[in-house]
Amino acid sequence: MIHEPMLQAAAAVPGARRDLLDEFEAGQLANDFDAASPEEVLEWAMARWQQRLAICTSFQAEGMALFDMAWRIDPAVRLFTVDTGRLPQETYEIVEQVRERYGAAIEVHVPEARKLERMTTHFGPNLFRRSVEARLLCCSVRKVEPIRGALDALDAWVTGLRRDQWASRANIRKIEIDHDHGGLAKINPLADWTAEEVWDYNRAHDVPVHPLYARGYTSIGCMPCTRPTGDGEDPRAGRWWWEKNAPKECGIHCPLETGGLEHELEAMLHGGGVER
Amino acid sequence: MPRAPEIEPDWELVRKRNFVERLKHEKGGLAVLDELPAMIAAGYEAVPEEDMVRLQWYGLYHDKPKLGHFMMRVKVPGGRLTPHGLRTIGEIAQRFGRGHGELTTRQNVQLHWLEMARLPEVLATLAAAGLTTTGACGDNVRNITGCPVAGLDRDELFDCRELLREAADFFLRHREYSDLPRKHKITIAACTGQCNAPEMHCIALLGTLRSGQPGFAVKVGGGLSTWPRLADDLGVFVPAPEAIEVLRAILDVWREDRRYRLSRARARLKFMVDDLGPRRFRERVEARLGRPLLDGAAPAAPDSEADHAGVHAQQQEGLAYAGFPVYLGLVNGEQMLRIADLAAEVSTREGGRQAGREEVEIRLTRRQNLILANLPQGQVPEIARRMAAIGFPLAAGSLRRLAIACTGNPFCNFTVAETKGRLRQIVDHLEAAFGEQAAVLGELRLNLDGCPHACAHHWIGDIGLQGTTLRERGAAGERLQGYDLFLRGGLARGAAIGRPVLRRVPGDVVHLAIERLCRAWIDGRQAGEPIQQFFIRHSDEQLIDIAGVPAEVLTR
Repeated sequence: MIHEPMLQAAAAVPGARRDLLDEFEAGQLANDFDAASPEEVLEWAMARWQQRLAICTSFQAEGMALFDMAWRIDPAVRLFTVDTGRLPQETYEIVEQVRERYGAAIEVHVPEARKLERMTTHFGPNLFRRSVEARLLCCSVRKVEPIRGALDALDAWVTGLRRDQWASRANIRKIEIDHDHGGLAKINPLADWTAEEVWDYNRAHDVPVHPLYARGYTSIGCMPCTRPTGDGEDPRAGRWWWEKNAPKECGIHCPLETGGLEHELEAMLHGGGVER
Repeated sequence: MPRAPEIEPDWELVRKRNFVERLKHEKGGLAVLDELPAMIAAGYEAVPEEDMVRLQWYGLYHDKPKLGHFMMRVKVPGGRLTPHGLRTIGEIAQRFGRGHGELTTRQNVQLHWLEMARLPEVLATLAAAGLTTTGACGDNVRNITGCPVAGLDRDELFDCRELLREAADFFLRHREYSDLPRKHKITIAACTGQCNAPEMHCIALLGTLRSGQPGFAVKVGGGLSTWPRLADDLGVFVPAPEAIEVLRAILDVWREDRRYRLSRARARLKFMVDDLGPRRFRERVEARLGRPLLDGAAPAAPDSEADHAGVHAQQQEGLAYAGFPVYLGLVNGEQMLRIADLAAEVSTREGGRQAGREEVEIRLTRRQNLILANLPQGQVPEIARRMAAIGFPLAAGSLRRLAIACTGNPFCNFTVAETKGRLRQIVDHLEAAFGEQAAVLGELRLNLDGCPHACAHHWIGDIGLQGTTLRERGAAGERLQGYDLFLRGGLARGAAIGRPVLRRVPGDVVHLAIERLCRAWIDGRQAGEPIQQFFIRHSDEQLIDIAGVPAEVLTR
């Protein structure tokens, strides 16, 4: 049933002149849209960028709510994810569920085979347990670089970042320029929502829920690096719990979407830029 | 369109939506100091991330990567340091900060590499020297800036030093001003050259005289970052003795309106002033004061902002001040100690203070330079020679003197590009390219930032640069740095917010683009035409063409 031309079509990037906000315009728009609902932000962004915009998701509650909202505005909205190769089976299940429920072709980006081969050959498949640097390398090859590749072909991406998640996210704007990724627009429609509001939305709209939430997971990533947290336990204990001397906020608070992960990664793996 | 919610939210909603409001409510930023010994005993690894945020209230921010080293910002109200104060900072830099030091665009001194275990000693040492970091970061009244030659300059309208010090003490002492919606920036000066950038502060008090009585016009609602805005004139005259009362009323109006605490993206005074307009904002301030303010008007802006470089006779007979360029704002710990020694030595000559002589002071400027004040005029050449030997020649040139860059790599967690290192490359290139002719560049102001926060004010430089990344990547897949070039901005009479005319100029050619823009201005300027006017006179397309960066490079 699956033909080569179909695969090629899925990989093709709709060609168009790049439409990039500048810093001044982005600032004005962010202020104008600060009190707008997620749907209003999405509607505006989708109309502006159309197929040059995509939602990035790892199928957590925020990403699913956003996709549901966007799909109701226009079912042609693009959705992409990264298959790091180490995802829990439950994530693949929800991918299938979403494909079926929405009739959506989820764009799946994967790590570069040669880099993955080199990394696992040199350091072994479970290098992330060895040191913070090795874990960052693994994050870089399996997740950061594939996402960068996906962003290269976009003018705008949509994230599920929320201000109430952590201090360093409290200042995020709903419309920003992503200077970590070549200056495309970054749209954060859920910026002022609480977790409760996200879950309320998902319940009201019967949005598929990642099965691991029911088993105590508060954040969902690669299988070996994520675990459920107990009641009252710090949610940060759910990521890279074995690490000593990991950078502060490097757990669940500086994900790729904020640029934080990449800053730590560059500082620790590449020495943090030019000495002066 | 009115953007603040019509109905003021209650605290519950504010804390639900705003993580930092919740954090402050659970435990205020200032409270973290009492817990510092326990935090140190527990070890850095065990300290909750929330308490790391609270350390901002003491001027501490994580260096990059976030592995236990801190940047520390020392407040220097009005930019005034004694030799002892500078020596204290220098000693801390040497002992605990790997010798690094930098001057900021708000008259602070920043150190790096500090470890948590050393903080009690460091903070106590600063306090003993009359210095503080309290409120230097976080949701506080930040360092109150002023004219660095207050009390010295022959052109100043009157001396604001005492008021500035009182205001700094007042907002430090009253803890309610340590829980503002976000950071808050105040400047106070009676400098006719408006060297303190009153256009871009939350509140600026601009000295003015009425029937010979000192007082202030008030500008409010300026700021840069991602939503740049020039301040509005409130249209008032505040007699000097009432200045603190009025500052307090403005801050009370601001901090008590919970609508601006819902979203930290709008938690700066400029948003409120923009929503209300200056007239209605003034009414609120008057309501809070319980009395009307006198009408007045801000003094006219000068042709260009002063920076007090070079040697000038002071008000005080026989004394002079000398403004020394500090290239890239970098002053290391050893240099601080040597400058402090020089200042102290000069102070003690000819009987010193016992003979009624003023102590030599170190004054920090907004353009990351320093001024030595109260120098006996006859000794200036010798002092200048010694400063040159320390690394600060008086005649370093206008380019070096006026170019500023933010902290950036390797320390700052926000930057996406080189800042001070890149600025050095650009300035060195321009000096080499123009050679003996570099003077034709006149007072060219280069302002370079590594992120949108605009610590180095890229919106209002003659040429502003903001770091970004390119779409293409290097051979090993690494990110490549680029810069957006902001043109047509400025302060003083030409006050305007620049626009990013050239986008994504690759870091390895940005110095060439700047050279071409400068050459085009020098070759094509009308008599006396400032570079800002030249840029205004040309279209974006013309300027992109002049810069010579192919269009496909700028848009990739």
